[in-house]
Amino acid sequence: MDFLNDNLLTILILLPVVGAVLTLVHQAFWKQESQLKWVTLGFTVLNFVVSLALFSKSAVAGASGFFFEKNVPWINAIGTNYHIGVDGLSFWLVILTTFIMPIAVLSTWHAVEKKATAFYVFLLLLESAMIGVFVSLDLLVFYLFFEASLIPMFFLIGVWGGENRIYAAVKFFIFTALGSLLMLVAIIGLYFIYADQTGLGGSFDFVAILNAMKAGNLILPAQTGMLLFAAFAIAFAIKVPLFPFHTWLPDAHTEAPTAGSVILAAVLLKMGTYGLMRFNFALFPDQSRETAWIFITLAIIGIIYGALVAMVQPDVKRLVAYSSVAHMGFVILGMFSFTEMGMQGAVYQMLNHGVSTGALFLLVGFIYERRHTRQIKDFGGLANVMPLYATLFIFTVLSSVGLPFLNGFVGEFLIMVGMFQSQVLSVTSTVNWNYVVTMIAGTGVIFAAVYLLWMVQRVFFGKVTSEKNRSLADLNWREIGLLAPLLFLMIYMGVYPKPFLDKTESVVKGLQERVMHQAGGTIEKTELKPVSADAEHK
Amino acid sequence: MNMFLFAELTVPDPNVSVILPEMIVAVAGVIVMLYDSFFPKQRAVSGAIAMIGLVLSGIVLATMWGGNYPATSWNGMIAHDNLRLSFSFVFLFVSAMTVLISTVWVERENVPAGEYHALLLFATFGMMMMSAGNDLVIIFLGLETLSIATYVMAGLRRGDLKSNESSMKYFILGSFASAFLLYGMALIYGATGSTNLTEIAGKIAAPNFPVNFPALLLAGGAMMVIGFGFKIAMAPFHIWTPDVYEGAPTPVTAFMAAGPKAAAFASFLRVFVLGLPLVAGVQASGYLHESWTTALAVMAMVTIIVGNVAAIMQDNVKRMLAYSSIAHAGYALVGFIGAGMAKTDQARDEAIASVAFYMLTYAVTNMGAFAIVTLLSQKNDRRTQFEDYNGIGFKSPVLAFSLSLFMLSLLGLPLTAGFMGKILVFSSALGSANALVTSLVVVAVIGSAISAYYYLRLIVVMFFRERTTEWIAPKITTAIGAVLVIAVIGVFYLGLFSDGLIQRFSRPGAAAIVRAEK
Repeated sequence: MDFLNDNLLTILILLPVVGAVLTLVHQAFWKQESQLKWVTLGFTVLNFVVSLALFSKSAVAGASGFFFEKNVPWINAIGTNYHIGVDGLSFWLVILTTFIMPIAVLSTWHAVEKKATAFYVFLLLLESAMIGVFVSLDLLVFYLFFEASLIPMFFLIGVWGGENRIYAAVKFFIFTALGSLLMLVAIIGLYFIYADQTGLGGSFDFVAILNAMKAGNLILPAQTGMLLFAAFAIAFAIKVPLFPFHTWLPDAHTEAPTAGSVILAAVLLKMGTYGLMRFNFALFPDQSRETAWIFITLAIIGIIYGALVAMVQPDVKRLVAYSSVAHMGFVILGMFSFTEMGMQGAVYQMLNHGVSTGALFLLVGFIYERRHTRQIKDFGGLANVMPLYATLFIFTVLSSVGLPFLNGFVGEFLIMVGMFQSQVLSVTSTVNWNYVVTMIAGTGVIFAAVYLLWMVQRVFFGKVTSEKNRSLADLNWREIGLLAPLLFLMIYMGVYPKPFLDKTESVVKGLQERVMHQAGGTIEKTELKPVSADAEHK
Repeated sequence: MNMFLFAELTVPDPNVSVILPEMIVAVAGVIVMLYDSFFPKQRAVSGAIAMIGLVLSGIVLATMWGGNYPATSWNGMIAHDNLRLSFSFVFLFVSAMTVLISTVWVERENVPAGEYHALLLFATFGMMMMSAGNDLVIIFLGLETLSIATYVMAGLRRGDLKSNESSMKYFILGSFASAFLLYGMALIYGATGSTNLTEIAGKIAAPNFPVNFPALLLAGGAMMVIGFGFKIAMAPFHIWTPDVYEGAPTPVTAFMAAGPKAAAFASFLRVFVLGLPLVAGVQASGYLHESWTTALAVMAMVTIIVGNVAAIMQDNVKRMLAYSSIAHAGYALVGFIGAGMAKTDQARDEAIASVAFYMLTYAVTNMGAFAIVTLLSQKNDRRTQFEDYNGIGFKSPVLAFSLSLFMLSLLGLPLTAGFMGKILVFSSALGSANALVTSLVVVAVIGSAISAYYYLRLIVVMFFRERTTEWIAPKITTAIGAVLVIAVIGVFYLGLFSDGLIQRFSRPGAAAIVRAEK
C-alpha cells in the first residue's frame, strides 16, 4: 500500500506512455492496426481503474495539504524537483481525465481508419500530459506537461481533422505556445525573486514559494507582481479561452476529430481554469482581487458573445464550440466572484462542462459518421428516424442548458448566487455591479436555452426534409454504452452534488480566504451584506 | 632576467598525457591520409579508422574528467579545465556523427573518402586545440587548422557550382575574419605584453596596470569580437552563413553548424570571460568588460531576431536550418553574456557549462536533423525544398517522426534537449540580475516563439499535407540508423535526465565525489 501511495500519480502518468510504447511495438511486430484500439482501450480503462485508488481513505495529506505527494530532485543544476500531488481541486480533474479517455477511444472505434497507430499513440501521450498538468506542483514540471499536451493535440487536429485542419492546428499551437512562453519567463522570474528574497537559492517548487509568501518571506513588489500575474493569467486565459483570446477554439473544435473535440472540451480547456485557480489565486491573491473586474467583464462578454454567435452557426459542431466559450465564461465568472459558493460552483461547472459538452461532441460525432455533414440545414425531423438518438441528444442539451435536477443547473446556480454576493465589485449608491453582472449572466442562461433548443428543433423535429436521412440507423450498443456513463453522471451530479462539492470545499475555502482576507491585505471595497440565499442552499 | 628566460626556453613542460586526446585524433588523421595514398578508394576502412580514432580519443577524454592533471601545462599553453573537457566532448561527438552521416553521401557522390575523413579529423584536432589553448597563439593555430580543413570540405562536391561558391565564399570571408582576429591578438599582446591568457588576466588585474593602454586593449578586444563573431555567425557577421551552408554538402553543413561554431564559442569564452575578466578597482578592465558585454548583448539580440525572422522566409530546408543555427548562436550568446556578467566564480563556471551544454543539445538535435536531410536529399542535394517533404509523414514514419522530434527540440519544447539547453542558458543569464541581460532573455523568448512558425512548418508539410507526386522512402542505412537512434535517445536523455551531465560540465570534481559517496 505504501508503494501505491507513494507512486500512484507517477503510475497514472506513466501507464499511458507504456501503452503508447506497447502500441508501437505491437504495430512494429504484428502489423495489426485493427487490434490497436483494443490495446489503447485496455490501457485507458486500466488507468481509470487505477485512478479510482485516489478515493482511498487511507491516504494522508502531507504537510503541504497534498495527497499522494512525491518530491524527488530532478535537475539539481536549476533546482527543479519532480514534485507531484493532488488536492481537492485537482482530484476531480484527474478522475475526469481518466474517465473521459476510454470514452474518447471508443468514440472513434470505426472512424479512424488511416494511420491508426499514430492516432492511438497520440491519444495515450495526451492522457499522460493532461494528468501531469493537474498533478504537478513544481512550476517547471507544470510548464513541461502544459506544453507537452500541445503536441499530441496538434497532431490529432492536423492529421485526422476536417478540411481546414492545417489552419486550425497551427492556430491552436501558436496561440497556446505564445501564452505559455510568457508564463515560462514569469516562472523563471519567480525563481530568481525567490532566490533573492529568501536566500535559500532558487526554487520552482509551488509549495515552497507559496509557504514563503504566506510566511512573509517573499513579498512581490507591486509592479513585478502584476507583471508576473499577467504572464500567468494570459497563458491560462488563452487556454480557457476567455474572450478575446477565444478565436482558436471554434476552429480547433470544428476541425478536430470527435475524440479530439471531446478531450479538448472535457479536459484541455480545464487546464486554463485550473491554472488560474491553482497558481494565479494562490501566488498572486492581491493581483487576482484587484483585476477581478477585468476578468468578470471579459467573462460576461464571453457568455453573451458566445451565445449570440452560437445562435447563428449553421454547423452543429461549431455551435457547440461557441457554447463552450459561453460556458467557460460562467466558470471564470464564478472563480472571480471570490465567494466560496461561486468558486465551488466554478469547479463544479468545470466538471459539468466536461461531461455535458463532451457528450454533445460525441453525439455530433455519431451523426457525422453516418451522414458526413454537420450542417443544420441538412437535417430535420431526425426524431422520426432516430428516436433514441434524439432522446439522448435532447437530454444532453437540457443538461447543458441547466435544467434543474441535471448537472448544469447546480453549477450555474452556485455561480450566480456566488456572484450575487460577491464583494469584489464596487457597490455605489446607484448601481450594485454584482447585481448587474449576475443579471447579464442570467440572460446568458436564457440565450443558451435559445440557441440549443432552436438547433434541436431544426435538427430533430418536423418532417424529414432530406431523403438521405430516411435510412439512418439509430444508435448501436457501442454508442449507447459510451453515452450511458455520461448520462448517468448528468443525473447524479444534478441530484446529489454533495460528494463532489465536499471534496473541493476545503481547497476552495482556503483560496477564497487567501484572496479576500489575506493578512495585511487591504479590502477597500464596501462590505456588502451577504444575501442569505446561503442558508437555504445549505 | 636573461638567465630566467634561458631557463624557460630550455626546460619546456611537456606533458603528453594532457594532450593525449588531441594527439590521438591527429594521429588517426595522419593514418587515414597515409592509408588512403597506398590503398585508395576504400571508404569503409578510412571511415572506420576515423571512427576508431574519435571513439578512442573520447574514451581517453572521459578518463581525464576529475583526474589529477595540472591546470595548465606546456608552459601554460594548454589549459585543463571544464571548458576544455566539455567542449572537446561536444567536438568528438559532432565529428563521430558526421562520419556516420557522411557514409550515405560519400557513397552517393563518389567522394574521395580518404581525403574527406583526414580533413575531418584535422578539423577536429583544430577544434580541440581551440578549446584547450590557453594561449592566443595556440587558439589561432587551432582555428586555422580547423578553418582550412573546413574550407576544403565545403567545396568537396567539385562538380557543383553551389559547392564551389560555398567554398570560395567561406574561404575569402573566413580569411578576412582570421586577419581581424590575429590583429586583435596582436593588439592585446601590445597592451599586455603577453599572449598567455593567464598572464593577460594577471596583467589586467594588476592595480598598476597602465591607464593609457585601454585604447589598445579595447581595439584588440573589438577586433577579436569581429573575428570570433564571424566564426559563430553572430549578426551582423552572419551574412556568409546561409550561402555557405546551403552550398556545402549536407553532412559538411551539419558539421559546420555544430562543430566549428562550438569551437569558436569555446575560445571566445576562454579569451573574453577568463582572459579579460572584470577586476574590481581596475579601470581598464572595467572599460573593456563593459564594452564587450554591452556590444555582445546588443549583437545577440540582433542575431536572434535576424536568424528567426529570416528563417521564416526560407523555402529551402537547408537554408532554414542555416538561419536557425544563427538564431541558436544567439541563444548560446545569452549564456555567454551570463558568464561574462556572473558575480561569482561558481556562477561563471556554471554559465560556461550552460553554454557547453547548449552546444551539446544543439549538436545532438542538429546532427539528427541533418542526417535525415542528407538521406532525403538525393544526389547533388536536389531534394531540399520544403515541398519535397510534402506528405512524407506516414510514408516514412520513422524518418518523419524523428525529424519532427528534432524540430521540436530546436524549438525548445519541454521534454527535449533543446528545452533544457535554453532553460540553462536563460537562467544563468537571468542570474546576473542586470536589466540589459533580462531584456536580452525576453528577446530570446520572443525569438523562440517566432521560431515555432518555421519549425512547425516542416511538421505541417510532412504530416498534414498530401503527397501529389510519387515518392519512394529511402532505405535507412545502418550508419544513418545509428545516428538517428543516438540522436533520438540523446534528445530525450538530455531533456529528462541531464542532471549528472550538467554537474559534470560545471564541476570537474563533482563526478568523482559522487562516485566516492556511492
